[in-house]
Amino acid sequence: MVKILHYLNQFFAGIGGEEKAGQEFLFLAKAVGPGMLLRDLLKNRDIEIATIVCGDNYFHEHEEAVLASLAEVMTQFAPDLFIAGPAFHAGRYGLACAKTASFVRERWGVPVLTGLYEENPGTREIGRHVFAIQTGSSAASMPSTIKRCADLAALLLDRDAGRLEAFKEEFCLKIPRRFTVQASAPDSERAVDMLLAKLRGAAFESEIPRIAVVPHPVPAAIQDLSQATLAMVTEGGLVPMGNPDRLESSRGTKYFKYSIKERDDLKPGEFEAMHTGYDTSTVNADPDRLIPVDAMRSLERAGHFARLHDYYYVTTGTGAMPAKMQELGAGIAEELSASGVNGVVLTAT
Amino acid sequence: MVLITCLANVATQVGAYRIMSGNKFHYPVGNPDLPAAEEANWRAALLSAALKILQTPVDVPTVF
Repeated sequence: MVKILHYLNQFFAGIGGEEKAGQEFLFLAKAVGPGMLLRDLLKNRDIEIATIVCGDNYFHEHEEAVLASLAEVMTQFAPDLFIAGPAFHAGRYGLACAKTASFVRERWGVPVLTGLYEENPGTREIGRHVFAIQTGSSAASMPSTIKRCADLAALLLDRDAGRLEAFKEEFCLKIPRRFTVQASAPDSERAVDMLLAKLRGAAFESEIPRIAVVPHPVPAAIQDLSQATLAMVTEGGLVPMGNPDRLESSRGTKYFKYSIKERDDLKPGEFEAMHTGYDTSTVNADPDRLIPVDAMRSLERAGHFARLHDYYYVTTGTGAMPAKMQELGAGIAEELSASGVNGVVLTAT
Repeated sequence: MVLITCLANVATQVGAYRIMSGNKFHYPVGNPDLPAAEEANWRAALLSAALKILQTPVDVPTVF
């Protein structure tokens, strides 16, 4: 017989919603909620499932105590496999799943798996050798996700290494992790070898994975600028003096728009750049060096285009997550488009 | 959109289509070596070139 320990939050355990998020750690010697689906899918095996439950808030407010209770259950129940969630896009739950799964794997070495949506903050806490099945964003994908959990559980229990690799490749989140590995040569030598290969035009492979770029449609050329409204956008962090909206100076997660209505140029002392990725002193001495209001205003007056939009848009592009930047970019584009803007000049530092 | 940057290779990699080289990466549309009036003229000429790029058809990421 094999034993599976399953972690659930108060909601999926059927205890209650947000009003029960303070639920204390609980051990139940039976399958509950999604665990019952799991048990049905694995019914051709001799399996015992036990469940631990913890409220979403309780976990984060008493993390140490919860992990201590989990450790006791691990010792007493001694499972062969640990399953957390799936948590989909639920943030607190996802973090709890990632932390409990990583804790169990690290301390007891038993196989562990969870299920998370790719943008769940829990993905940042996934430890070594934790299988994280990619799920949809909501529990609507529960049936297919639980089926995958059961398939993965079977492969792990059977120690089917070959099919496990194939499963991981197809269904698990690709979470970049830095592991200590033994390289053939020191990094200085590898870097120089790579540089020499590049200079020779020979093949070389970077040790840093490249970000996959999803191609987007080519924006059409503007046929008639004399009818066009143009706007300015920057990732250079230019904000009104004092940074009233608290734009982050790195790892930006927000964008703002600021009025340039009736301004002929941007004066030093009225705007400043919030950005840890470059020396901002030259821009601060004349903010037109980043958001060229002076030049655009003179071109507008000379009739090169119809109208300069009343606002410029800004975020901070340094150290940022590409996925977050895509989201911000889409938000800015949507607002500009809704304002009747036909073209954009975007400055990047 | 025309992207004015000094990191044209990065702009190409992330799939921007109309890319223009700026002056320096910490002031893409600045030229502090010039006297103020000349810098303003220089910047207007740079932005005028950027406007031409907005009117230019492209089908792949292009550095102008």
